[in-house]
Amino acid sequence: MTMKKYGSHFFLAFLLLACANESDPVADKSNFTRIYDNNKFNASYFPIDLHQTPDGGYLILAARRLENSNFSGIYVMKVDELGGFVKDKEVDETYINPVGQLLEVNGKYYFFCMTVVSFETQLVEMDATGEISQVLNVGGSYPTAATADNSNFILLSYDNLNKQSVVSVVSPAGSISKSKGFSIGAGQAVEEPIISHFIRTGRQFPFQVGKTAAGLYYFNGFYNYTFSLVFTDLTQDDPQGVVQGQQDDGGLSQVVELSGGKFAGSRFNFGDNYFLPNVPISASGVSSSTDLGGNPFPELVPNAPVHILKANIHNKNILIYASNTLGRQIALFNFDQASAAFLGSRYLGFSNPFEVANLISTADGGVAICGTTYAAGRFPRICLFKISGDEFSRSLKF
Amino acid sequence: MKHSLFIAFTLLAFISSFGQSYKKPPKINSRTKEQDKFLEKQWWLGFKGGLNLTQATPEKRYAVFSPTNYDPGLNDKVYQNFDKTGSQATIEATFYYKGFSFSFQPTYRHVRFAYANSFEWHNPENANENLTLDYQQEQKIDYADLPILVKYEVTKTRLRPYVQLGAFYSLLINATKSVKITGTDHASGGTNPITNDPVIIGARDLFHNNYWGLVGGIGVNYNLGNIRLVLDASYRMGMSNITNTKNRFGNDRLSGIGDAQDDMKLNNIVVSAGALFPMRFLSNSFKTLDR
Repeated sequence: MTMKKYGSHFFLAFLLLACANESDPVADKSNFTRIYDNNKFNASYFPIDLHQTPDGGYLILAARRLENSNFSGIYVMKVDELGGFVKDKEVDETYINPVGQLLEVNGKYYFFCMTVVSFETQLVEMDATGEISQVLNVGGSYPTAATADNSNFILLSYDNLNKQSVVSVVSPAGSISKSKGFSIGAGQAVEEPIISHFIRTGRQFPFQVGKTAAGLYYFNGFYNYTFSLVFTDLTQDDPQGVVQGQQDDGGLSQVVELSGGKFAGSRFNFGDNYFLPNVPISASGVSSSTDLGGNPFPELVPNAPVHILKANIHNKNILIYASNTLGRQIALFNFDQASAAFLGSRYLGFSNPFEVANLISTADGGVAICGTTYAAGRFPRICLFKISGDEFSRSLKF
Repeated sequence: MKHSLFIAFTLLAFISSFGQSYKKPPKINSRTKEQDKFLEKQWWLGFKGGLNLTQATPEKRYAVFSPTNYDPGLNDKVYQNFDKTGSQATIEATFYYKGFSFSFQPTYRHVRFAYANSFEWHNPENANENLTLDYQQEQKIDYADLPILVKYEVTKTRLRPYVQLGAFYSLLINATKSVKITGTDHASGGTNPITNDPVIIGARDLFHNNYWGLVGGIGVNYNLGNIRLVLDASYRMGMSNITNTKNRFGNDRLSGIGDAQDDMKLNNIVVSAGALFPMRFLSNSFKTLDR
């Protein structure tokens, strides 16, 4: 009787184990890697930002190479929750130079770009499928970075007539409610790296704009001959505070506000890269980015682009630093948000070069990383990595 | 369809083996009643080894490359069925009773299978400019099989053909993948063949820890003195997915190359030869089996 009982248990366990590995739609959404390939030689795409849409899919904003212009064209792609390609759009060449972030306000998606002739800033509105509903003229010129501020946008742009970095608050209707310009300094030499950035013949500068919890606006851009982190209330002509770089050879590559005047940041200095997972940055007075110190990361490419994400993985608040390695992989370095302790790293990509564009937290508690890979070692294509919280936590040492 | 054919075939073999059992047993040389009684049951223990060929059947296809301007089917993996030779070693423990045998055959099985896919890029303004890359992926997987089989010996002669049916449960031991990329570049001013050494990557995490399946086959026993020589061939039909669905993209190196494993089942043709030894004590009056 006992033997019979154990036998039936064994048989049931056998069946359960054997049936435990059928197709798993949840796992398919949780973890995937995709390379979005176009089989044409002359197609080149450089993703800028991504956003998860309510259907679980992703909207990706990218730049594309234009045959007849030094500036980048605009490419928008929609993929489903499994990362499968749904549709794309090569936006008309009258609009160029798309900049991140890809912004969401009231279920609509927005990004800034400019016109090809007058270089006037435009605000493009899309739905969750990537269908463009309208393009609004904002005015100003050369947009470089943007972020959302409640139901408005904060825009950093370059005014090439007055040689100023300009911070503006823009509504979804395209109207500017506040704006303030800050001189980059006199002379052609100061402007040259900015223009080289736009036409992709020079270094890609980590322009950034945002607003602190205390209500101060900040931008990471050119001010007074130097690539600097500048704090402003958008009313006074002079900045509240400046963290100076080293002309165009040093500065901050990304900052994310934590709390109590502390930031998670990274900086570059004559090619070297330093991470500052928890650093106090003064929003007043003048200081230097080199005084911030930080942990050097020699495995990164010189003056590496760095993207920092505040994420919650398995109820643990962490900071994910994403950057590009000399080995042409995307590296993810993880730090504890509270203690700044290093928690582990992970590398994405192999064989062909991979470069990070941006990363986001996803609705299921995972992380999505978008970047560029060079298919066959030569064709720039968009890649998307989706990593579940479970999978990501494997690279964390708590 | 394939599964239906397999089940029909094995049922037919099984039924026909029963048909055979009603035939009059052949004469065996001067056996006494006691000897016949003794021969009604026996324990056999032995070993066998041999070769196997593998077919991987994709149930649901997955890919890293997601085309934006061409048919995704062009990148589909093409599986090379029963193309790579694997091997296996088995310990067999069999209890024989009146023509039927109940056999447990733990096996170490090394299987190999391969698939290929290719990618092409071209210049729409110059048809002579194109680049083709061919990816050849070979999987080598080691399993510990735990099959339970029922055999029926069709005759009771020295040479005894038999049919066998059963099920198996396989435990993953190890797995590796090798990826070789070759191609031709017609875009660099001439024809430039591209050849790279294969990249070999540990891939245990990409496969599920176990799978199960059904076995059907035929074989023949040959009694040689007190040793029984065995030659059998069986078809193992995998019934569950061998891919670890949670880890499909878990290997950053393979994902980076562009490889994602399909959901798939494994079928094997397994041929083994070996020797079995009787475990029941042989009395003075019965010293040999080969009568």
